[in-house]
Amino acid sequence: MQIKQFFTCALFIVMASSVSLAAHAEVTIDQPAPVFTANTAEGGKFNLESLKGKTVVLEWTNHECPFVKKHYESGNIPQLQKEALTKNIAWVQIISSAPGKQGYVSGAEAIKLNDARSAKPAYVVLDADGKVGQMYGAQTSPHIFIVDAKGVLVYKGGIDDIATAKKEDLVKANNYVREAWAALADGKKVPHASTKPYGCSIKYAS
Amino acid sequence: MMMAAIAARICGCLMTVLCLSSAAWATSYQASTPQVKASLVASHATVSPGLSMVLAVKLEIAPHWHTYWRNPGDSGTVTTIDWKFSQPVTAGEIAWPLPERFRMGPIVNYGYANQVTLPTPISLPADLALGKRLHVEAVVDWLVCKEECIPQQVTLALDLPVVPAAQHTQPTTVAQLQPVPVANFPVHLVKQANGLQLLLDSPALKQSVVEDVWFYPYEWGRIAQSQPQRLSQTEAGIALALTAGDQPLQTGQALHGVLVVKRKQGQATSVIAYTLSPKLSAAVKPLQPSPDSPAPEVEGLGWALFLAFAGGLVLNLMPCVFPVLSMKALSMISHAQLTRRALRTQGWIYTFGVVLSFVLLALLLLALKAGGAEIGWGFQFQSPWFVCLMAYVMFAVGLSLSGVFDIGVSVTGVGSDLADQPGLWGSFFTGVLATVVATPCTAPFMAAALGFALTRPAPELLLIFVSLGLGLAFPYLLLTYWPRLQRLLPKPGVWMEYTKQLFAFPMYGASLWLVWVLAQQQGPLAVGLSLSGLLLIAFAAWVYAISRATTVTKRWLATVTISIALLAALWLVTRLSAAPTSTAAASHTTTNTWQPYSAEKLQQLLAEGKPVFLNFTAAWCISCLVNEKVALSQPAVQQIFQQQGITYLKGDWTNKDAAITQVLTQFGRSGVPLYVFYPAGQPAQPVVLPQILTPAIVLSHIQPSSSFHSSF
Repeated sequence: MQIKQFFTCALFIVMASSVSLAAHAEVTIDQPAPVFTANTAEGGKFNLESLKGKTVVLEWTNHECPFVKKHYESGNIPQLQKEALTKNIAWVQIISSAPGKQGYVSGAEAIKLNDARSAKPAYVVLDADGKVGQMYGAQTSPHIFIVDAKGVLVYKGGIDDIATAKKEDLVKANNYVREAWAALADGKKVPHASTKPYGCSIKYAS
Repeated sequence: MMMAAIAARICGCLMTVLCLSSAAWATSYQASTPQVKASLVASHATVSPGLSMVLAVKLEIAPHWHTYWRNPGDSGTVTTIDWKFSQPVTAGEIAWPLPERFRMGPIVNYGYANQVTLPTPISLPADLALGKRLHVEAVVDWLVCKEECIPQQVTLALDLPVVPAAQHTQPTTVAQLQPVPVANFPVHLVKQANGLQLLLDSPALKQSVVEDVWFYPYEWGRIAQSQPQRLSQTEAGIALALTAGDQPLQTGQALHGVLVVKRKQGQATSVIAYTLSPKLSAAVKPLQPSPDSPAPEVEGLGWALFLAFAGGLVLNLMPCVFPVLSMKALSMISHAQLTRRALRTQGWIYTFGVVLSFVLLALLLLALKAGGAEIGWGFQFQSPWFVCLMAYVMFAVGLSLSGVFDIGVSVTGVGSDLADQPGLWGSFFTGVLATVVATPCTAPFMAAALGFALTRPAPELLLIFVSLGLGLAFPYLLLTYWPRLQRLLPKPGVWMEYTKQLFAFPMYGASLWLVWVLAQQQGPLAVGLSLSGLLLIAFAAWVYAISRATTVTKRWLATVTISIALLAALWLVTRLSAAPTSTAAASHTTTNTWQPYSAEKLQQLLAEGKPVFLNFTAAWCISCLVNEKVALSQPAVQQIFQQQGITYLKGDWTNKDAAITQVLTQFGRSGVPLYVFYPAGQPAQPVVLPQILTPAIVLSHIQPSSSFHSSF
């Protein structure tokens, strides 16, 4: 058609004015969990992609947060970490507190703290610049994300369903991590795939 | 205890905080932590059986610290009060005062700083024992945070003398319920490209006077609390754009919460608040946990109207519309002898034809939507009947332009005056025709405006379509009003006849293309039927032409013949099955560069972390086909696809496909084309490409992914 060039030209002008906005980072259930590499407390590198084939639990933590204390001092999270070891599930502790803020620790301090609390995470990831935390949209300590063996995000949210800092509530609470593990073991869908995270806000740099 | 009561009376003030220091009750009405001073206050100094009263917990909070609202936001914990009474008494729920929002980095919390009083309604039973004291104990749990957080618990207590109703004191203002009024104006909640649009139809809420506005949801997960709530002006009030959260609403579910508006009134600022519970409109799909789409956003009706108008203007340049309009321009040159008034009448009648057609289209769209159909723009081309009729119309217009026969649409109006009926009808039908042929061409501006229109209530949808029609009609209307522009048009002459005949060929081309679309939809039989129909139309046109100059009887004979031919052509249309049989995807698979789209396949590829390029197209969409030809199937593009291991998925919307319509909706579109690129390992960050592609545009959207990916 003789007018094609004319109209193509006109449309380019139109198109130039419609700018695409950049999508903001957000992790979605049933979508592949974003992969990342980060430093570990031992001084090595952690690579999420290398854990394909294993279920992975990402736990955001801050040892000074009362909600974290509830789950560590009561032995709740250390127990879960031990269970993870026996089930060949990789438990990854992630510390996103910025330097100078509550919960910020060096690698050595993080290891010492875990020893003192009988905590047995498979990996301790140091994320002082908050990159991994913001990539996942982690908001609270604790905040739990579970990635299945195929690398798909199957759970995000709170550790259980009673949003308090009281240890006595643990017996009444429904632990979402165990629930998710049971569902994954049976090859079923995680019943509560997205729940409300609760705890202290993550002390990001900005 | 008695002293306190007496003191209260002596003071004359209605201070009703009762101090309890007797040995029987160790707790006090007050308790302090380093961050918070808590006290328990009652609305009445003495109580009586059957009284409805208020007990309140007042928290005085140290500077820079805060406690939380019923929905604490992204982190934090709600303050709770556990009531215990010495006699059976029922306590209600805390009537929460208006919260503030606190932002720390990416986290947003809702709560209170400095001071807050949390009132609870209490109903005392009718058999409350007189003469005794009612002992009240409140176990209050809160989380107080500055940057760090501390959970705290205190127990507060009060003793209230129970007296006969006639004797007890007046209520105070210290402990008072301050209910937030329910919105007294219409509130709507509709799905939008990236989340939800909260429409507040109150003229009192003008964007110019609103200093700050925030919607505080009662429940977690309904909206993403940390995302900005973008304010825009609407005709009826204001709109807030909300982002869907991790537990999005389903259609019909209500979004409960409080809207807090700070208004400027001269120098002063006033705060008004409303409780809202709008239900997510059933007219639109619920927001799936969808990838965040960078679709162009439409803010408010005014902007949508503007976009629709601009889209209408651009439509004038579309290959299918341009011949019709040139025809119109030609006919105007021939009308050059007309008075200016007569010309303007022509212009307005043309505009009327266009707008009326758009209104009819909008009504049809609404009717189909009301019937629950999954439709988008260009939907009419999904009906084989419509495609076939369009092929007929295009062909008939072509024949007319070729000079086989003359109808009102053509240049019959030469030298005619205002009373010349064919001229007026010609203008009207040119308008109708322009609309009909324009529909398959979705201009980039219109995609956003129409996507918005489809989510709106009926009156707004109609307005948007009217605006679109005005845009389409505008250039011609302008010509009729601005004689100077007309002088720019070339002088009439023989060339007009040749140009007219030349324009017949694009019309034949369009007809041909529609037959090809039919072949995609229904296979070879449809081609046979539609071509036979075209033959009948050509025959009818010829009979019409030769019969015009003959006697009345012969003209009657001709009319009968034409009617039979046209009816036969229409009958052929009905032989096409109304529901399209999908053969398009299968018949396309001649090359191996792409694979047919399915939701499962996309999920699987994304789960494997593979890069994916999505192309949603339709055989009747010209820009789709042009894009494929000039950009997507170019060797340079295909080579990069191969090198980067990009899977090219193509979704065919030629026929109705609810699954694809839903994907389009997720990206805020109502029609094709839609191009989306999912970079490797970043399934949550799809990139939406423009609707007009060149190889360079495609490559620029695909290449940066590799560098971005390695940045972590």
